[in-house]
Amino acid sequence: MTASTFEQVRNIASDIFGIPAGKITAESSPETIENWDSMQHLNLVLAIEEKFGVQLEPEDVEQMKSIGAVAALVEKLQSAAH
Amino acid sequence: MAIVIQPYRPEHEPAVAEFNQRLRQAGEDENMVFYRWAEPRWLPRRAESRIYNEFFVAVDDGIVRGGYALKTQEFFFPDGQTRSIAYYHHPLSEGIVNKAHAMVGTLLLRDAMQRVPLLYCLGMGGYDRPLPRMLVRLGWAHSLVPFFFRIVNPSRFLRNMQTLRSSPSQKFLLDIAAYSGAGWAGSKLFQSYRALVAPRSAAADGCEVTSFEADAEGLQSLWEQARQTCSFTAVRDAEALHILYSPALKHLTRLVVRRRGSAIGWAVVGERRKDAKYGNLRVGSVVDCFALSGELFPVVRCATQTLERQGFDLILSNQSHHAWGEAFKAAGYMPGPSNFLFAASKKLAELLAPFEAARPRMHLTRADGDGLPGNF
Repeated sequence: MTASTFEQVRNIASDIFGIPAGKITAESSPETIENWDSMQHLNLVLAIEEKFGVQLEPEDVEQMKSIGAVAALVEKLQSAAH
Repeated sequence: MAIVIQPYRPEHEPAVAEFNQRLRQAGEDENMVFYRWAEPRWLPRRAESRIYNEFFVAVDDGIVRGGYALKTQEFFFPDGQTRSIAYYHHPLSEGIVNKAHAMVGTLLLRDAMQRVPLLYCLGMGGYDRPLPRMLVRLGWAHSLVPFFFRIVNPSRFLRNMQTLRSSPSQKFLLDIAAYSGAGWAGSKLFQSYRALVAPRSAAADGCEVTSFEADAEGLQSLWEQARQTCSFTAVRDAEALHILYSPALKHLTRLVVRRRGSAIGWAVVGERRKDAKYGNLRVGSVVDCFALSGELFPVVRCATQTLERQGFDLILSNQSHHAWGEAFKAAGYMPGPSNFLFAASKKLAELLAPFEAARPRMHLTRADGDGLPGNF
């Protein structure tokens, strides 16, 4: 995963979960971010789709178990689209 | 292993039982569990079914992490067409007790939207609950389905309504009103006023009531004549009514209202499920209704009289169609705060566009929900 993609995903997560970007790492997950519940997971999915212009399938949503996994997924989808 | 959402089959039943056990152990409401059996007890799918329930489960390496149900049914649309659409209900995710599964709620909803793009949700308990918040965030069209109630026994109502008795001072004042007769007088005054201003041309005088079985032909004719009064309604023809309100459902009374030998409308009434907020009140419900244009009031009145004769203290109904709301008010019902929502997926809302214009003539009742007898 590139630093640029990770930074963008981290900034989105910071907005959605209401915590400083500096406190979010690639390992951050629903178990370590208090506000990461089902509603905020949906918000994260929609924000990722909007920001990166991708359409997430159910199997993609299922992979979004950490911020690092989200960034890796975005890169995979972007490279598949090009 | 990835989570796979698939039709609920008998081999999943042990894993569903374990899923329910994990929810219970986490202290969730004991009613917050998924269906124990793979085959729906109400409206199972058969080859010839027009109305049926199906269940789906989210399975992760043999472990069930959630599930949802779809009730498929035909609806009549503003363009005059009839289409099969589905009602998304009972979504349940392990994410509510274990945040490691926070994604399951989104997965379930997206899976349902892929299977049936024409999807709706109903009820849900208010906009502050997780599911409505998700639907609003996804851009679903939505509105509240108005709620109406009629107090039949004011003194028992005032002594039992737990939501009104939340503080000692309120409890004291309500007890005074109940025992002094002030509550009875106020309620009867309101209902008498409503009766005075009720539409006389559509008075219930001269109407007779029969059963569904006695007038199947009338039910079919009513559907054909009256569906155009609705911009959107579940198909309520004779066959659909027989499926939805089978004579086997002994807790429901199914009445046809006739004038001069012709059916002018019908209603289904019954007892509402026990709910702590109603204390020991016997609560009745006008579950569903349908009538010719201009004949709504006598149908509401006959339905109300039936429930009053059955001894209910309080009668409730949810009605989205503006004309039905007016008929209930004319029959002495008061509007109350509603937490009963209707939400339509984007694809469904496209067929109802403009949604705000279609909304007043959409005919949705509690009967369009999950159909669990207690939930009427």
